[in-house]
Amino acid sequence: MFEKVLLKNADKPESHRIKTYLKGGGYEALKKVLKGYQPDQVIQIVKDSNLRGRGGAGFPTGLKWGFVPKDPTVPKYLCCNADEGEPGTFKDRQIIEKDPHQLIEGMAIAAYAIGANKAFIYIRGEFAFGARRLEEAIAEAYEKGFLGRDILGSGFDLDITVHRGAGAYICGEETALIESLEGDRGQPRFKPPFPAVKGLYNSPTVVNNVETLSCVPHIILKGADWFRGIGPEKSPGPKLFCLSGHVKRPGVYELPMGISLRDLVEEYGGGTRSGRKVKAVIPGGVSAPMLPESRIDVDMDFDSLAQAGTMLGSGGVIVMDESTCIVKVAKRIIEFFHHESCGKCTPCREGLDWIDKIMKRLEGGNGRKGDVELLEDLCNNIFGKTFCPLGDGAVMALRGAINHFRDEFEYHIEKRTCMVA
Amino acid sequence: MATVTIDGKTITVEDGTLILDAARSLGIEIPTFCYQAKLSRLASCRLCLVEIEGQKKLQPSCATPVLDGMVIHTQSPAVVTARRAMLEFLLANHPLDCPVCDKGGECELQDKVFAFGPREGRFTEWKRTFHSKDYVLSPVIIKNANRCVQCQRCVRICEEIVGASALGSIGRGVKTEETSFMRAWLNCDHCGNCIEVCPVGSLMSLPYRYKARPWDLKEVDTVCPYCGTGCTLTVGLRDGQLLRVRSRRQTGVNEETLCVKGRFGLDFVVHEDRIKRPMIRKNDVLVPVSWREVSNYLKERLLPLKGKGDSVGGLLSAQMTNEEIYTFQKLFREVFGSNNIDSSSRWPVASEGDFYPALLDLISTGIYRGNLREFLSADTLLVAGSNLTDENPVTEYAVRYTLSVLPLHLFILSSRPSRLDKAAKGVKRYIPGREVRILASVLKEVMKAHEEDLKRTFGDVGEVIQGEVIEDDFVRALSSRLLGSRRISILVGTDLLRSPLAVDAFRVISNLIKVLRAAGKECGLQFLFDRSNQMGAIDMGAFPRDGGMGFGSLLEASRDGRISFLYVLGEDPVLNYPDGRLVREALSQVGLLLVQDAFMTETARMAHVVLPGATFAEKDGTFTSNEGRVQRVRAFYNPPFEARRDLEIISHIASLLGVDLETDPSSIFAEIKDLISPYRGVDYEGLGDNGLFTGHEKGVDKGLHPVAIRDVALEGWGFITGNHLYHSGYLSQRSRLLGSLIDAPFLEIGKEGADSLGVREGDSVKVRRNGQSIELKVRVKEGLPEGLLFIPENFGSLSINNLMEKGVYPFPVEVRKNG
Ligand SMILES: Cc1cc2nc3c(=O)[nH]c(=O)nc-3n(C[C@H](O)[C@H](O)[C@H](O)COP(=O)(O)O)c2cc1C
Ligand code: SF4
Ligand code: SF4
Ligand code: SF4
Ligand code: SF4
Ligand code: FES
Repeated sequence: MFEKVLLKNADKPESHRIKTYLKGGGYEALKKVLKGYQPDQVIQIVKDSNLRGRGGAGFPTGLKWGFVPKDPTVPKYLCCNADEGEPGTFKDRQIIEKDPHQLIEGMAIAAYAIGANKAFIYIRGEFAFGARRLEEAIAEAYEKGFLGRDILGSGFDLDITVHRGAGAYICGEETALIESLEGDRGQPRFKPPFPAVKGLYNSPTVVNNVETLSCVPHIILKGADWFRGIGPEKSPGPKLFCLSGHVKRPGVYELPMGISLRDLVEEYGGGTRSGRKVKAVIPGGVSAPMLPESRIDVDMDFDSLAQAGTMLGSGGVIVMDESTCIVKVAKRIIEFFHHESCGKCTPCREGLDWIDKIMKRLEGGNGRKGDVELLEDLCNNIFGKTFCPLGDGAVMALRGAINHFRDEFEYHIEKRTCMVA
Repeated sequence: MATVTIDGKTITVEDGTLILDAARSLGIEIPTFCYQAKLSRLASCRLCLVEIEGQKKLQPSCATPVLDGMVIHTQSPAVVTARRAMLEFLLANHPLDCPVCDKGGECELQDKVFAFGPREGRFTEWKRTFHSKDYVLSPVIIKNANRCVQCQRCVRICEEIVGASALGSIGRGVKTEETSFMRAWLNCDHCGNCIEVCPVGSLMSLPYRYKARPWDLKEVDTVCPYCGTGCTLTVGLRDGQLLRVRSRRQTGVNEETLCVKGRFGLDFVVHEDRIKRPMIRKNDVLVPVSWREVSNYLKERLLPLKGKGDSVGGLLSAQMTNEEIYTFQKLFREVFGSNNIDSSSRWPVASEGDFYPALLDLISTGIYRGNLREFLSADTLLVAGSNLTDENPVTEYAVRYTLSVLPLHLFILSSRPSRLDKAAKGVKRYIPGREVRILASVLKEVMKAHEEDLKRTFGDVGEVIQGEVIEDDFVRALSSRLLGSRRISILVGTDLLRSPLAVDAFRVISNLIKVLRAAGKECGLQFLFDRSNQMGAIDMGAFPRDGGMGFGSLLEASRDGRISFLYVLGEDPVLNYPDGRLVREALSQVGLLLVQDAFMTETARMAHVVLPGATFAEKDGTFTSNEGRVQRVRAFYNPPFEARRDLEIISHIASLLGVDLETDPSSIFAEIKDLISPYRGVDYEGLGDNGLFTGHEKGVDKGLHPVAIRDVALEGWGFITGNHLYHSGYLSQRSRLLGSLIDAPFLEIGKEGADSLGVREGDSVKVRRNGQSIELKVRVKEGLPEGLLFIPENFGSLSINNLMEKGVYPFPVEVRKNG
């Protein structure tokens, strides 16, 4: 059995309290860092650990921190991305509600490493309970001197502010998150400059996912080698997988990176609730192309999934059994992206609107010959041309459905009804 | 420098050049929608995508800088397909109601689809519609949301250039709509710059709506008649009727912008108040007569005055052309033998005799005749004595733009708060008259730091500033900025011209410029005149010289019965001379009051003879802007009824006295060019789209002028005056459209002041002085100095100049809450 790291406190009573956290060795990593490490050394350790961002893109965390200019006269910011908007994803919520101090400690270490004295947690608006939990935990941390002025006598200051979003998926995209934090419309900004150079209030800013930051204290305490030893070397570490859909035992599972998708679904998830065969699995949130059952013998890590033509994304695993109409799933996913498109760029705004209309018509039994080809062409016209990856994500999801289940689309058009109904 | 290859052609450009610009300089056209040169980059329309070898994705050329060695394709299959795809997407939900769209024929979407495809439509779904009907956003803006291509040029120009931030986006995704807050009536400047930049028929001009197709318009390029910023504009006429005004990209000081007066305020030319025929006062009523009769009458009255310099005088508007002003002063100087000429009646100068010499010295010392945008590319900019937002809006746009792209440090010394304040490094409010002490304090600081340089340049300068200086944050910050700057620009506003201590203020500024230059810095000034040709009027010599009387002295002489003939051309001193009682009393004592104007002004009503003149719309000639830029005014109308061009009338009068004066503007300009040194290099025929700049006269450096600091006392309330964004005199007063934006003058009062009077926004107050009183509505304005009130100038019927008094500023008044 894999010994839990991120969720080790989660099932303890009052797991969210600082006393529970301290009892389990909490804030020792922060003490260690403030006493014995220069910021550069912290960055090096994180680099050595091969920690990759858990927000979706899998960008090497230490490398990102290293991009922040060292100039001490410019203010720098750390933003924790707790927007968790990707459908099928509910892992950050687990950390926030069950073990918020782990995140706060991770943030304090990250802020120290990049030279930030001000940090924000941008939390999804719907997570009202989580936001309250965070506020309480932050207050506890201040009281114990883990936040505020001159933390643990080190001379290092850090303030953390919780900011609640207002319900837009796009605000999980790091530059849109920054715009939103500044009080502007949540729409992505042009890159470059990247946030690490010019982010919040035009200052160097690191945006990291909740889970990414929560890994940091463990890396500090147990060492980079320990972390790199969990799962594949290039994409290591403990990972939270969110299992949902037609599985018997949905939930958040902490397992080493690189575990097989089939094992995750069949062993941990217990197979389908209905006992029917698995039809397809979305391995990393709805932006990730689905895999048909025949292809789920794949390792759950960034590189293996990329090779399989899909992605680990946020680790949201959605299981669909044989009763699922893939056309309906695709329609629903497109509906989501269409609804969440921020409207900034032409291909995503107009293209998804067009696709959405076709999908509704097609699924509703009014498909026409040539619709699938038109959809594919529109996908080509969107893909790679959008301002941010949201539009690409929508297209990847739809392409995945068409590629693996084209016959279902054709059936819908010809028979004006669903193949599985 | 970076060398790149685009479509097989190689070019070397500055580092950081956008691919789009590099391509354009090779003559390669890449279509764009959201890109606009002076706005922040958005890169959202994706129309300008290009292929860069070695990069997986196509990149937006409008936001991607070149890198050395890049190989770029703008015509590859991937690019052509992407471009067509973007246009197909934009067309998907587009209503394509071109037949009823004002933009049809000059629509960027039409043109781009025509040029780049697609050639057939595949979209067969329902189109998104926001509203089936267009909705009105302001008296000048109407919105069709369905036609919007989401380029946000409107939003960005409103925020980044105009500074009004009246537009924004509401909704998300395909429901995004660029509009006002809650789609309500816009709280905006009504400048229409958003309409100008809108590539499609989404934001449209309400006055122009359904009036013409663009190909039916005859367009004429001319210059805005209002303020001295000197914007170029293009009027569009159909069947000889003025239907719209637009600006042209990258042309003139304004580039693609205009303020509300220039864009929508030109309808004054057809106001019913036009004087139709000459008139002579008979039995105390003005009676229309023929030109022949009035000529005979004038000949009889004027012949005896020929050469009688002392008893005649002329006042003309600084909104006349250079050629008219030049000819007018020539008539006086050469025919009447008089130096009694003036070109503004709105500066209540106390010491008239010193005013013009000090102003001329300041001009010859410090003026920068050249492009405003280059002038603003300085380290430090001081705006002294102006609420730029109200006085010279497009100059303010240029300042705002410069601040967004250069590390310019802005300091504002102004009695009135303005929108630019929040962008400034230092802001100082003052009671007019006290600016001298503030500026002198800065001067003293700078002199202290450069004693050696001064000694070298000026020898022993002695005590240049007499009196006590102040030390406050503003003085400290400005002085230290000046010391740390290499290039300093000063904009001098009309508030300083109105100051009771204007002469001292000019001297301090002139000293400051000389001192900064002695310290090895570049320093110059431009004026913020609020009249389109004030600069030209000064250049043409339309001011008293060699012992002549200015308008103030002329009035006093008139009151004493010493003036036999007063010729008022295009000015309305009865309403705008800052001493209403004096002007009425004086004008009634003039032997022959001749008023020549396009409109029946209050002054014309007092005249013995009224001659129907022309508006700028009916003339050819030139204006000289605040930049010293000479630009062509071009006629697009004929003078209506029996009105005549002013130049013809002036020379007609000369001919009655047996003197022939030229009436052809280009010949007159040739004479100006010969005689007036800054105009030496300016050729009338060579005045293209961007005009030509006058040159610098080399001023004789007369050393520093000692200034004794005096202050102006203000007990209780005092008001100052000036322009309003929508309204700057009797021309704007006759624009129906501008009138619909603001119908009555108001009183601006600070927050504390309002509290102490117990009044709130919108309350009515009574303002009294010398038994005269007017009622005004209150506008509470944060940031006016204590005791100071602002009432906008010459609002028609309401003669606020009855509360004014010559030589006093601010004008002391009593204020009471009404009722
Ligand atoms: C449309 C879109 C939505 C995103 N939503 C989230 C989100 O909800 N949470 C998150 O952590 N990252 C999200 N991301 C990824 C972020 O942009 C960013 O890469 C991430 O927060 C970086 O953190 P990491 O390096 O720790 O993964 C989103 C990206 C896109 C394009
Ligand atoms: S792809 Fe374009 S429209 Fe879609 S969310 Fe990103 S920026 Fe907005
Ligand atoms: S905006 Fe252009 S394409 Fe659209 S209806 Fe008007 S003219 Fe036609
Ligand atoms: S209204 Fe016009 S300028 Fe504004 S976003 Fe729409 S198309 Fe662009
Ligand atoms: S700024 Fe002055 S010149 Fe320009 S449009 Fe406005 S009034 Fe006319
Ligand atoms: S012009 Fe480049 S993206 Fe719009």
